[in-house]
Amino acid sequence: MEKKLLSEHYHKKEYHTLAGYKSFGGYKDLESAFSKRPEEIVQMVKDSGLRGRGGAGFPTGVKWGFLPDNSEPRYLLCNADEGEPGTFKDRLIMEKAPHQLIEGMLISAWGIQSHKSYIYIRGEYQNCIHVMEEAIKEAYSAGYLGKNICGSDFQHDMDIYIGAGAYICGEETGMISSLEGKKGQPKLKPPFPAVKGYLEKPTIVNNVETLAAVVPIIRDGVEAFRSIGTEKSPGTKFFSVSGCVKKPGNYEVPLGYPLMDLIELAGGLREGRKLKAVIPGGTSAPVLTAEECEKADMDFESLSDLGSMLGSGAVIVMDDSCSMVDMLSVIENFYHHESCGQCTPCREGTGWLSKVINNILKGQGRIQDLNLIQGISENMMGRTICALSDAAALPAISFVTKFREEFETHIRETLAQRKSGALSA
Amino acid sequence: MSKKIIKCEINNQEVEVPEGTSIIEAFKELDQSIAHYCWHPGLSVAGVCRLCMVDIEGIPKLQIACNTEVKEGMKISNQSEKVKEAVKWGLEFHLINHPLDCPICDQAGECELQEQYMNFGQYSPNMAERKVKKRKVVDLGSKIVLDTERCILCSRCVRFTDEVSKTHELGIFNRGDRSEIGIFKDKPLENEYAVNTVDICPVGALTSKDFRFRQRVWYLKTADSICTGCSTGCNIKIDYNEEGLFRVQPRYNKEVNGYWMCDKGREVYRLPNKEGRLLEAKAPSSYSFKREDSLRPSRAGGNPVSSVEVLKKIRELFVKKEKAPQSALVLTAQYTVEEYEDLVSFFIKHLGTQQDIYYWRNNPESFDDFDGVLLRGDKNPNTKGLLEVLTNQGAIHSWESLQNRLKQKEIEVLWVAGPENQKVYPDLKEKIDTFESYCDNIIWWTAHPLSDSQKIWQIPTKTFFEKEGTLINHTGRAQKVKAVHQLVSSALSLSESATVLKGEELKKQEPPFLVTPMKTNHFTYKKKVL
Amino acid sequence: MSRVQRKSRSGVWYLPPIFKGLFFTFKKMLANLSKKNKMLTLNYPEEHYSYGPRFKGNHILTVKKDGSLRCTACMLCATNCPANCIKIIASEHESPEVEKYPIAYEIDILRCVFCGFCEEACPVDAIRMGPEWQAAGLNGDDFIYDIKYLSKRDSLKGGVLSHVDDKERHKAGM
Repeated sequence: MEKKLLSEHYHKKEYHTLAGYKSFGGYKDLESAFSKRPEEIVQMVKDSGLRGRGGAGFPTGVKWGFLPDNSEPRYLLCNADEGEPGTFKDRLIMEKAPHQLIEGMLISAWGIQSHKSYIYIRGEYQNCIHVMEEAIKEAYSAGYLGKNICGSDFQHDMDIYIGAGAYICGEETGMISSLEGKKGQPKLKPPFPAVKGYLEKPTIVNNVETLAAVVPIIRDGVEAFRSIGTEKSPGTKFFSVSGCVKKPGNYEVPLGYPLMDLIELAGGLREGRKLKAVIPGGTSAPVLTAEECEKADMDFESLSDLGSMLGSGAVIVMDDSCSMVDMLSVIENFYHHESCGQCTPCREGTGWLSKVINNILKGQGRIQDLNLIQGISENMMGRTICALSDAAALPAISFVTKFREEFETHIRETLAQRKSGALSA
Repeated sequence: MSKKIIKCEINNQEVEVPEGTSIIEAFKELDQSIAHYCWHPGLSVAGVCRLCMVDIEGIPKLQIACNTEVKEGMKISNQSEKVKEAVKWGLEFHLINHPLDCPICDQAGECELQEQYMNFGQYSPNMAERKVKKRKVVDLGSKIVLDTERCILCSRCVRFTDEVSKTHELGIFNRGDRSEIGIFKDKPLENEYAVNTVDICPVGALTSKDFRFRQRVWYLKTADSICTGCSTGCNIKIDYNEEGLFRVQPRYNKEVNGYWMCDKGREVYRLPNKEGRLLEAKAPSSYSFKREDSLRPSRAGGNPVSSVEVLKKIRELFVKKEKAPQSALVLTAQYTVEEYEDLVSFFIKHLGTQQDIYYWRNNPESFDDFDGVLLRGDKNPNTKGLLEVLTNQGAIHSWESLQNRLKQKEIEVLWVAGPENQKVYPDLKEKIDTFESYCDNIIWWTAHPLSDSQKIWQIPTKTFFEKEGTLINHTGRAQKVKAVHQLVSSALSLSESATVLKGEELKKQEPPFLVTPMKTNHFTYKKKVL
Repeated sequence: MSRVQRKSRSGVWYLPPIFKGLFFTFKKMLANLSKKNKMLTLNYPEEHYSYGPRFKGNHILTVKKDGSLRCTACMLCATNCPANCIKIIASEHESPEVEKYPIAYEIDILRCVFCGFCEEACPVDAIRMGPEWQAAGLNGDDFIYDIKYLSKRDSLKGGVLSHVDDKERHKAGM
């Protein structure tokens, strides 16, 4: 059994209450963190090599280092807008161990010397919001939030902000805009949020899992953290396995775990089915064919060598009962619906991609549409304010290149059916 | 603290710019062309159109020019194949949902999409799917019509209402490709600077109700001029052709009006147009004058009475006498400095003294009003110029003394240089009645006709579009208007009237008449005239 | 193409070519007298020459299916006209589907050179050059054609339908 850094006690019933959390050693690391200086905390996180668990995989310590010196006030924002399709790990952390998150945020706040933080939870997670509100209330009454935390003169306030159904508010500057009360549209970078973020002040935005992972770093030390996982991607990660497996769910394994083993851990494929494709990191990641899956290890480097990315760690398993055309159309319809509409390539490109693929699905596609999809996607990438455009383009390119025969067969068959009159035009 | 000067290279041309300039501003410095829709020098940076891509040496990905600051030694280029391909696709993305509206769109001919299409476009579009349909002909208030389908969501108009007019009437609603520009409930786009959004809109999404469908822009020429609506003196450019003036747009001037102008000033295009003008000199009914014999047949039917003839008669009646009749001169601040100098010096020499010159102010209580952006309370373009001329000649007298003298019937002849812009003189009718009741002979210079009267001699004057002169604005800045095209052939400026009244011969006028392309065939109508 | 005639030997004597020509003329005359139906002469006004379908005659303004004018007053024809004989005044239509339409459309037919540029320039097949060319008039006014004459004169039998239909185009999603 692999060592679990975060979810060791998640199955305990009372773990989400303050008393339950404390009985399993909770909030001790907070006190030990207060005994260290803030710079030490930042250095520890930097040395540990913790990488962002929300999707981009940016080294957290380096991000914290971007804060300009002697700037006041600083904000810490926790990104709990888990919008990436296929991802449901942050929900687990917030429902089962809200205090773990609060402790992680407090340690991080002490490290970056922030006195105010917000947790931006997506509006659909009603249960999470309820649980987090209760947990914060408990923390305030126990003296872990508010003035003079744990007897020190550190003051910190934490608030929950509820989202309203926009995937784009999971992008860091989109979240900041939404928090400021404006339309949740991403802002131009530069200036980066670490320099000019929420209310034009230095802001750090981190994912729920990243902030929760700060707790084991302080608890066990840097070497212990680095001993798990790989050289460049240390630590454990939650993988939300879904799709055609017997036991879909969240699985915390060290980074570098082979993908096929992860699928086995999740119960394996259903009887009589063969693996066709796996999306390893949420729908924004390029798809892996069955051969590539044999070689894949779940860490940042191995997947990017194979042309995909780890992303948020949502593993969607597809066997040979799935139609790739259908899958792609679901993905592109999602991005079309969620594009904020600010910059032209994404706004028009997602709509165009969605229409072309829906046409192919309906049976009105042409062979040159496949080249068109590639052209559109290549020219949407890298030319926009935020990465939603890349997220919409990458799966389109990967599906159409890796499963081209399936697309072509579908187009030819439906064309034949139309000609023979079986399909209505 | 002055900024450091940085050197960089754009398309193999060196340029020096202060620190903090963005690349697109450096392009403008060099007058190099770069495709852009959402950037405007008078507004904040949005970076949403993604067309101003540039290739910077050392950076593999293309960057946008409007949000990237120039650094020392940067080598920038927008002529490489990569950039052209990126702009071509960017343009394609703009056009895939754009309606095929060029025949009915007002912006045809000055549309930014058409411009960039001719530079970069591909003639066979790749899009074979259905376009997104949105609302058309949406009423945004009393001045502007919106077409949401044509809108490319550059957000220039939204930023304008947020930053310049600070009235926050416009917003972008919905998200994705269903986004639309719109107004909020019960808050139409009704501020004093609303029509500027029509100027900055790069496509025909926002159109001005005033100009809508009146003329195609390629039939219009542009001339630079100064707005005569108030004492700010915004620099404008007027679009006109031989039929008249059609539209006014602001010109950039850093010290006077920046990039904008107010909506009231846009009405000045109506002042020179023939529809409201006084086309020929009018005399009291006891005099009759021969019509001008000219080879240009006039459309109104009949040739105008020569103003020079009328002025010569006036000179005979009121100027050339041995005992000059008691005269008074009333001036409004709507003429140029040169005209004032000529007329006042003529008056003092031949007709009266400095004591008899009066300054007609229309609304002295609100002269110093200022709304914070551009509109001022003094609705005359040349108040400072008039005061300067009068002080030089030593003549400013209170209006009361004129009233008293009129009541005592001391004045026999009243010379009035009436307002060109009659709308800002609400007391015009009242003053005419007062003057008529107390004075028998009134000579009135005006561009637009007054109500018929028994005693007033009306001389048509040239408007600001037809004469050359200087106007001094409220800060004392002298700005010139130029003679562009004469719409009323018998109009004379005050200087020319003064010349005729002095008894001198008028120099042969060579106004810049536009040649009329003959659209009707005169041979079949007037066999006598060739 | 100019053909250079060789100096013929008999031409030196001057009279023989004249007799040759006269012989040719009389031969044709006798042929015409005997076979009247093979004559090339057209007895106008009883017989008319029928021109091809692309003949450029008097203009026709086409109409839409509901009878209203197809023209959208884009003024491309007026811009393209080399003789400057088209004059259009545009106006706003109440229905937002139509939006712009001409309230005055005049062609001065005496200035027109019948080049067909207006037909080529029109993006919506609103103006065509029809087969009529006989349009005598007594008054100068008769030669300025207005909308009523151009689209609804008697010879058009109620109006010519345009090939470009906006409603179909919008339904197809363009």
